[in-house]
Amino acid sequence: MDYEISLLTTIAISVLFALSLNLITGFCGQISLGHAAFLGVGAYTSAMLSQAGWPFLATLPVAMLLAAALGCIVGLASLRVRADFLAVTTMGVGFLFIGVVRQQEWLGGEMGLSGFPGSGLDKPAFLALALGLAVLTALLCLYIRRTWMGRVFGGIAEDEDTMRVLGIDVPRYKLAAFAIGTALAGLAGALYAQHFKFIGPDSFGFVESVTVLSMVVVGGIGSVFWVAVAAALLSALPGWFQFIGDYKLLVYGGLLFLMMRFAPGGLAGIVQSWRKPKPAAASAPAGAVAKGVQP
Amino acid sequence: MLFFELLAQSLVQGCIYALIALGLTLVYGLLRILHVAHAALFTLGAYLGVLVYNASGSLLLAFAVAMALSGLGGVAMFRLAYQPLLARPPYVALIASIGLYIAAEEVFRIVFGASGLSFAQPPLQAQVAIGGLQFKEAELAVMVSSAIIIGLLGWLQTRTRIGIACQATVSDPQMAESFGIRLNTVRDLNFLVGSALAGFAGVWVAILNNLVEPTMGSVPSYKALAIIVLGGLGSVRGTLLAALVLGLIESFGTTYIGQLMDRNAIAFAFLILVLMMRPQGLFARR
Amino acid sequence: MNANTTSAQPPLLQVAHITVRFGGLTAIDDVSFDVHAGELLGLIGPNGAGKTTMLRSITGVVRAQQGSVRLQGEALDGLAIERRIRRGLALSQQLVKPLRHLSLLENVALAAGSAKTASPLGSLLHRSEHDEQARALELLRSVGIAERADQLPGTQPLGVLKRLEMARALALAPRVLLLDEPLAGLNSKEAHALAETIAGINRGGVTIVLIEHNLGEVMRICRRLVVLDNGRKIGDGEPRAVMNDPAVRAAYLGNDSVAASAADAQNQETAHA
Repeated sequence: MDYEISLLTTIAISVLFALSLNLITGFCGQISLGHAAFLGVGAYTSAMLSQAGWPFLATLPVAMLLAAALGCIVGLASLRVRADFLAVTTMGVGFLFIGVVRQQEWLGGEMGLSGFPGSGLDKPAFLALALGLAVLTALLCLYIRRTWMGRVFGGIAEDEDTMRVLGIDVPRYKLAAFAIGTALAGLAGALYAQHFKFIGPDSFGFVESVTVLSMVVVGGIGSVFWVAVAAALLSALPGWFQFIGDYKLLVYGGLLFLMMRFAPGGLAGIVQSWRKPKPAAASAPAGAVAKGVQP
Repeated sequence: MLFFELLAQSLVQGCIYALIALGLTLVYGLLRILHVAHAALFTLGAYLGVLVYNASGSLLLAFAVAMALSGLGGVAMFRLAYQPLLARPPYVALIASIGLYIAAEEVFRIVFGASGLSFAQPPLQAQVAIGGLQFKEAELAVMVSSAIIIGLLGWLQTRTRIGIACQATVSDPQMAESFGIRLNTVRDLNFLVGSALAGFAGVWVAILNNLVEPTMGSVPSYKALAIIVLGGLGSVRGTLLAALVLGLIESFGTTYIGQLMDRNAIAFAFLILVLMMRPQGLFARR
Repeated sequence: MNANTTSAQPPLLQVAHITVRFGGLTAIDDVSFDVHAGELLGLIGPNGAGKTTMLRSITGVVRAQQGSVRLQGEALDGLAIERRIRRGLALSQQLVKPLRHLSLLENVALAAGSAKTASPLGSLLHRSEHDEQARALELLRSVGIAERADQLPGTQPLGVLKRLEMARALALAPRVLLLDEPLAGLNSKEAHALAETIAGINRGGVTIVLIEHNLGEVMRICRRLVVLDNGRKIGDGEPRAVMNDPAVRAAYLGNDSVAASAADAQNQETAHA
C-alpha cells in the first residue's frame, strides 16, 4: 500500500505541475522551456521556511507568491521578445535559476537540501492534500477557460496582434497567465519538496522543464483533462515498467518527437479526430498560431 | 598574463561555438525552426572521429567520415522530421526537435555506454609556446581550421551561384522559387553543410578533451541557441560575432563572478540582459 | 448628410501636422486633416503615397516624429494601439485576420465583449457570452452574412471575410471606424456590394475613414476626399472638385492612369445624375 500511495502522490503533483504549464502554454500560447525553475522556487521556499520552523501548510502561500513574483519578472521579460526568442529566453531563465542555486551554500549548493522538517501529515493524508490541490487546480483551469479570460487567452494564443487591434491589453493578459501558472507551479514545488524529502539543483533542470512540457504536449495543448491524463501516465510510467525506468528519457524524447510528427494535437487531438472525422476543421491545435513555411 | 590566457581560452571556445551555431543559424534563416537536435550531430561527429582515428590512425579520414556522416544525418533529419512539419505552427518543430535530441542522446548512451569514449593515442596534444602562452597544438589547429572553413563558406555563399541561390532562398523563398531555384535542394544543402560543420566541431572537441560522452552535446545545443538569438536570428555575421562574444563573457565571467553563478547561468544571464535592452539581438541589422 | 457640415461641431478626429520619417525617408510630410462626426471620408492617393503609413500613425503602430492625433479633443499620441482602440477607434485590416478557431459569430462576439475584457482580473469574473452573441448576430445581419454565423472562417470566400472584419470592428462600437482597403481583392460586383454596405453603415451614423484604391466606388460613396501624394496632402474636399484639381490628376495620371480614368468615368456619371 505504501508504494501505491507514494506513486499516487507523485502523480498528483505531476498533474498539478503540468496543468500549471498548460495555463501558460496551452491556454495563452506562450512557450516556456524553463517552467521547472518555478517548481524549484516553490520547493526551496517551502523547504527553507520549514527549516526555519514554519508549519508546512503556512509555507504554501509563500511558495506560490515567490514563484509568481519570479513568474511576473519572466513574464515582463517575455513581453519584450518575439515568440521564437521566448522559448530560448525561458530556457535561459531555467539555467539561470539552477546556475545560481548551485553556487549558493545557503541554498545547499550542489548537494541540495534534505532533512527539513516534515509536513506533520502522514502519507495517506498528504496524498489527500496533493490530490485535493490537483483537483482544485483542474477546476480552476476549467473555470478560467469558460470565462472571458479564457476566451482572450485563446485569441492571444492564435494571433496576439489581432487581439490588440480588438482593444485587448495583450501584455497584461500574458502577465496574468504567467502569474497564475507560475504560482501553481510553486504550489506543486512545495508539495514536491515534502514528498521527495530531498531537493537539489539537478531536480529542476532543463530535462525537468522538457518533461513537463512533454506532458502538456502529449495531452494536447490546452486540454485540461487530457493534459492531466498524460501527466498521470508519463509520471507513473517509470514506476509501472521497471525496465522503462532506465530508458525513461528515450521514451520521453521519442514520444515528444512522434507526437509532434504524427499527432501534434496530442491525445486530445486524436480523440477529437475520432469523434469528428471532418477534414474541414483547423489543422493546427486549438489556440495555436496558424503560421508556417511553405512546404 | 591572466588576461591573455583568458582571451586565448575564449577564442578557442568561441570557435567551437561558432562552428555549431553556424549550422543552427543557417537552418533558422531558412526555415524559422530552432533546430535543437543539431547538437546530436555534433556528438555523432565526435564519436565517429574517435572511432575512425582509433581504427585507422588517420586524422584526415576521421574528419572526413565524421563530417560526411554528420552532414547526411542532418539531411535525414530535415527530410524525416522537419519537412513534414513545415506547414505547422513553429512550436511543433521546436518540440519535435527537442524530442529528437533527447532520444538521440539516449541512443548514444545505449550504444556507446555512459562512461564515454577516448582516443587510444590522442593526436595533436603537443604543447606549443607562443608569446609566453602555452597552447596545445589542437587548440591552435581549431582556431586556424575554423577560420579557414568559415572563410571558405563565406566565399562560397557570396561568389558562387549555389551560394547566392541559398541567400535568395533565405530572404524570399517564393521569389527564389519563381526564379527556378529548387527550394528543397537549397534546404538539403544547408542542412548538409551546417551539420557537417557540427560534426567537424565534434571531432575537435573530442581531441581537445580526449573524451566523448553522450551528453556532451547538451550544453553546446543550449549555448548555440543562445548564440543565434544573441546574434540576431538568421544573421550569419551576427552569429559569428555573438559566438566569440559569448566565449569571452564565459571565460571572463567564470573567473570573476564564478562564485555567484555557474558558467551556463552566466551565459544565459548575459543573453537575457542583452535581449531586455535590444530585443532583436546584439547584431541584428533590423 | 452633407459633406460640408463643418458648422459649429468640433471635428471628431483631428490629424494635425503629422510627419513620419523612416531612416532618411520622409513617408508623411506635415499632413493635417479633420474628420467630422457622421462623415464618410475617403483617403486616397496613388501607390506609395503614404496612405497605409498615415493609417498606421493614427492607430499608433507607427510613431510620428511630429504632429498629433486627437480623438474628440483628447490626444492619442504615445498610446499603444490597444489603448487607442479603447478610446474609440476601430480598424478593419487590409489583410483579413479572423480567428480561425472561432466561428464567425464567436469572432464578432469576442470583440463585442470588450467591456468585459478591459482588465484580466475583470475578465475572470464574467462568464456569459449570451448578450455578446446576440449583438454579434445583429452585426452579422447588418453586413449581410448572418446565415453563416456558425461556420468557421477557414472555408469562407474573401468577400465574406471582409464583411466579418467589418462586423468585428463595429462590435467595438467605435467613434471612428478606419477601413484599410476593404475592397482590395474583390471583383467589381463584390466591391460594389461591399461599398454599398459601407455606405449603409455610414448612413446608420458611424463615422468612417476609408482608405481605398478603387476610385470608382470611392467617388460614389464618399462625400469628401483627402488625397495624398508622396507623403503630402494635395487635395481635400468634395470628390468631383478634388478629382478635377490639376495637381491631383497629375499625381494619378503620372502613376496610375487606370484609376484616373475610372475616376473620370465616375465623374461623368455623377455629373449626369
